[in-house]
Amino acid sequence: MAGLLVLGAGKIALGDMLFILVSFIILALAVKHFAWGPVTKMMDARSEKITGDLDYADQERARAKKLATERENALKNSRAEAVGIVNKAKESGETQKKSILSDAHSEAEEVRQRARSDAQKAKQDAMAGAQKDIANLSLEIASKVISKELNADDQKSLIDSYIKELTVNESK
Amino acid sequence: MDDKYKFIDFLGLRFNVANDLSVLISAILVFILVFALSRKITMRPGKAQNVLEWMIDFTNGIVKSAMPDGSGRRFNLYAFVLFLFIFVSNQLGLIFQVKVDGFTYVKSPTTNPLITMGLATVSLLLSHYYAVKKFGFGNYLGNYARPVSFLLPINLLEEFTNFLTLSLRLYGNIFAGEVLLGLIGTVAKSFGAVTFIAAIPLAMVWQGFSVFIGAIQAYVFTTLSMVYISRKLEKE
Repeated sequence: MAGLLVLGAGKIALGDMLFILVSFIILALAVKHFAWGPVTKMMDARSEKITGDLDYADQERARAKKLATERENALKNSRAEAVGIVNKAKESGETQKKSILSDAHSEAEEVRQRARSDAQKAKQDAMAGAQKDIANLSLEIASKVISKELNADDQKSLIDSYIKELTVNESK
Repeated sequence: MDDKYKFIDFLGLRFNVANDLSVLISAILVFILVFALSRKITMRPGKAQNVLEWMIDFTNGIVKSAMPDGSGRRFNLYAFVLFLFIFVSNQLGLIFQVKVDGFTYVKSPTTNPLITMGLATVSLLLSHYYAVKKFGFGNYLGNYARPVSFLLPINLLEEFTNFLTLSLRLYGNIFAGEVLLGLIGTVAKSFGAVTFIAAIPLAMVWQGFSVFIGAIQAYVFTTLSMVYISRKLEKE
């Protein structure tokens, strides 16, 4: 082998080296065209896609977080609002109850007042009527007494007639 | 080794048929391998694509360890093809050797120093080419006298030692491996059945080890090529 090297210097060496140079270059070009190019392109595309996906996932996570806090806030607000509404309703119910009660009170008072005044009036009317009757009666009695001279029999008959009259009046 | 080779003289150049045929077969095997593995390229890789991408990542890692700043991306393809080609070449002679009438036709192409020198030439030419391209011819020449001018002869000498160590390391390892395999073969044939049986485990062990050495040497050659290129490309 060593002899081959020395003897072939200039002759053998160049031929084989040239051959391997050319075949290596052709091999490299063929590999590049058929395998290397597409595969590395795909690898680059994949790494790009992975980076993109990771970025996208980060963005989505941030957005989801923001949304969640927003919703939580909204929920808290709505709870407070509901409490406020209930309180307000309670309050208004209370005031309404009070006003109804006071209305009822005043109405009842009025009714009672009216009833009392009615009774008063009826009593006064009755009293006035009785007074008039008594006045008439005494006037009549007086006129009867005056018109007759009274003796015992007369007095008796007078009283009887009067009583008769009274009963007649009463039965009328 | 007492192998005989056929030679073809063409255009004043002499071609060794065994070397050239083996180189051709190795190249075709490498091409068939990557071609078969790259048939269905999809975003979600299948088995074949995974294997191919694993190999690409492996050689990319070699380049990246020599040139960490990303300037080595343009050498990725070179490292990939170089690694695969040397690996397949190293294994070719272990798997089959063709001898007709005492003439060898197919063997590991890397058992010939001329082939490894050819590969080393490719690497070193690339390093010089990119150095000139990056620094300009004047600066490229100036780099030999850096960091201090009296290192000029050592730097010049280094170019030759780089070339020789790179090529002869690969050649020596693979050649020695095949010589030893041949020796084990002669031992097996020397005293009939007894030595034949005794030689079987020896041959098995050494073949396994040769596969290992072939892979290691392919890795070393690729790594050193990238280191030489990166050294040429950095300003001293």
